[in-house]
Amino acid sequence: MEEKILKVKEASKHFGGVYAIKGVNVDINHGGIWGLVGPNGSGKSTLFKSILGLHNLDEGEVYFNGQLINNLPPHKLYDMGLVTSFQVPRLFHSMSVLDNMLVAARGHRGNKLLNSLFLKGQWEKQEAEYAEKAMALLETVELERLAFAPANELSGGQRKLLAIAQGLMTEPKLLLLDEPMAGINPVIGKSIFQKLHNFSRNGLTLFVVEHRLEILFEFASWVYVMDKGHIVTQGHPEQIVNEPGFYKAYLGEE
Amino acid sequence: MDLLLYVFDLLVFIGIFGMYSLSLNLETGFTGLANFGKVAFILIGAYTYAILSHLGVPFYLCLIAGAIVAALAGLLVSLPTLRLRADYLGIAILAFGEILRTIVRAEKQIAGGVWGITVPPAISIANTPPRIDALINIGLVYFCLAICFVIVQRITNSPYGRTLRAIREDEIAADALGKNRTRYKAQVLMIGSAIAGIGGGLYAQYIQFIDPTMFLPLITFLVWMMVLLGGPGNNWGMLVGAGLVQIFDRGSVLLKDILPLPIDPLDLQYILFGALVIIILIYRPFGIFRESQVKTKALEIARSWKKKS
Amino acid sequence: MAINWAQVLFNSAITGSLYLLGSVGLTLTYGLSKFPNFAYAELITAGAFFGYLFAEQFGLGFFAALIISFVLGGILAFLSYRGIFQPLLSRGSSLIHLMVASIGLGYVVRHSLGAAWGWSPSYFSTAWSFWNIGPLRISSLWLWLIFTAVALALGMHLLLTYTKIGRAMRASSSNPELALASGINVNQVIWITWFISGGLAAIAGMFRAADTQIWPMTGWDIILPIFAVTILGGIGNYYGAIVAAFIIGLVENFGVVFLITMGLSTEYRVAIAFLILIGTLILRPQGLAMLFRRA
Repeated sequence: MEEKILKVKEASKHFGGVYAIKGVNVDINHGGIWGLVGPNGSGKSTLFKSILGLHNLDEGEVYFNGQLINNLPPHKLYDMGLVTSFQVPRLFHSMSVLDNMLVAARGHRGNKLLNSLFLKGQWEKQEAEYAEKAMALLETVELERLAFAPANELSGGQRKLLAIAQGLMTEPKLLLLDEPMAGINPVIGKSIFQKLHNFSRNGLTLFVVEHRLEILFEFASWVYVMDKGHIVTQGHPEQIVNEPGFYKAYLGEE
Repeated sequence: MDLLLYVFDLLVFIGIFGMYSLSLNLETGFTGLANFGKVAFILIGAYTYAILSHLGVPFYLCLIAGAIVAALAGLLVSLPTLRLRADYLGIAILAFGEILRTIVRAEKQIAGGVWGITVPPAISIANTPPRIDALINIGLVYFCLAICFVIVQRITNSPYGRTLRAIREDEIAADALGKNRTRYKAQVLMIGSAIAGIGGGLYAQYIQFIDPTMFLPLITFLVWMMVLLGGPGNNWGMLVGAGLVQIFDRGSVLLKDILPLPIDPLDLQYILFGALVIIILIYRPFGIFRESQVKTKALEIARSWKKKS
Repeated sequence: MAINWAQVLFNSAITGSLYLLGSVGLTLTYGLSKFPNFAYAELITAGAFFGYLFAEQFGLGFFAALIISFVLGGILAFLSYRGIFQPLLSRGSSLIHLMVASIGLGYVVRHSLGAAWGWSPSYFSTAWSFWNIGPLRISSLWLWLIFTAVALALGMHLLLTYTKIGRAMRASSSNPELALASGINVNQVIWITWFISGGLAAIAGMFRAADTQIWPMTGWDIILPIFAVTILGGIGNYYGAIVAAFIIGLVENFGVVFLITMGLSTEYRVAIAFLILIGTLILRPQGLAMLFRRA
């Protein structure tokens, strides 16, 4: 049986005796866009943060490509190919958009001290390649014209887009996106999701927490629905909309 | 007073402090490390040079040894402190510098304790007038300065330098992008300390005498002022900052001979220095020169890309 | 070599009292404004000089000068916050900038004092009484120091626990947004905290100077142990600072005995506080916090 790219097993996390998530099981196969939806307070954020090691799970395990990753530090996860973009984007504010992208590049030989000092030849070509790639990705999120602008001059929506592009730049195996379309014009959002969908057909797996159900449901292959710390239902988007669990979770919420 | 000799002397100091500033700039301007103990590594370089030169070691080896010992000290200090947050790091390194000075003061057998130690000059040709001596030192110091400048420029104009800036801006984000921040910070502290160590050695052989009172936290403060004034993150700015502060330092002492002041010029000088730092931080925290961009091929590619679309 | 343990214990109380007076102010402003004020050493020094001015030059005697010095020290601290740190904080200055600014301020104050009074040491002319009780040598100065430290510690405790302003101080320190939302004038609380910190520093400075000498480095001479107390006690933790002050007082004085018996120079006394400082930072950076109710 094909190894799942992400497997969360019986995850539970409580804060001061109150469970934010309990007995959560998630299986993500390679490829495609996987969604996680649910009303505020359902535990989506806690689950995400637990996967990334920002919270220590009280119970349960998280496996990435078969490897146990509970409590691993972020840079180890990056090395393994698990990358996230934060809900409030953490960008390098005074650095240019281009530099923000280039820092994200994986395996750059120019990051070694000796290479930077003496062996320029070792990394010059890579630098050029990464620059091309960065510009291409910036074009995907329509930020290429702002390549030289400092990141702190970007609007909130632009910062989210840069964060997504940064995530893609890292050549991840699995990219976690926490509410990527918040604050973004729906038309642009749909176009970007279309591009993400294209990426996901070429080997990238995306696990996305999203409130904008319409966009997610159009492109996701599988969606998990959470409420009050549990997974209440899951399945293909067309199925989900008919599930009573789904409506119950969102009852009272527009 | 021999004006030319005075100018030569000033140039030597600008060169030496230029090296200190470049080293601190690498640590704090680019990487965001609060190194409040810079003088400790200068002291190490100076005393290593002094002790080895007395054992007959040739000057270039003394300088290199000073750099190595200072770098090792930088590594040692980094082990417990680099994971700490900025204020803890600053306090810890500051304290380290003070303890080091206490040890040198207390242990006479290391290098004369409070009585200090004489240091033979690096290059000494018999019967040369002071002006020629000064010129030789200028040559030596600026040669070393040039090498250090090239080193720092290369480091900072590379993907490595880009990563340093990222660590400075947001450590956590840099971590999430796979950059092992402790490794980078440790390497930077070692290189910075090595450069400071060479500067310390050059200083020792120029003054030809060192004692613990020449390595007070004041020196660290002066270098910080040079970095803040010149513009953190800009290596050319460091040379300007070093020059300006040194000129101001000398100038105010000279003023004593010209203007009768009711106040000791040394006190006045430090009052002005302190005030200057505060004013810079409030009104122009980025200094005279703005931070330099990472200059690599990536810039060209991005620019020509824009023309394509 | 016979060691006078009773004296070592008593000295520990003296040192602890001095460090208590000297560090409470620092820990409060550090915890509240979230940066270490390196000019704190100079607030201590300024207190010593204010004391000298009023006790000796105006002839008012040590104790009257103590009170005046408290007020002046408080004003100096308040002005330094209002004039320098508040503007920096409102500009969003980084932690490093705040630290460097405080170092710069330290130079301004230290050298202003040096310019005004000179760098040669001065002394309080107060005639302190000395007694020998058994193996102990006691001086009225030390008794006053211990008394003042205990009195102020108690006073601060009462202030923090039972008064409106004290509760406001604790709230502002642990959660400024919540405090603001609860209607507390956080700015005012900050100003009062800085004022108190300066006042306490001034008192510490006077006692330190009375015990040693008055000169522009009075504060800097003890700044390392003061920082050690602040860190060991937990930044912002008033009660932790009290305990830490006496722990370090004990360790230092017993440490000096150790140094002497080992034949090492007593110059290494500062190294003791340094080792505690580094040890705390590495092993338990939050210090004694969470073992005590946060102030």
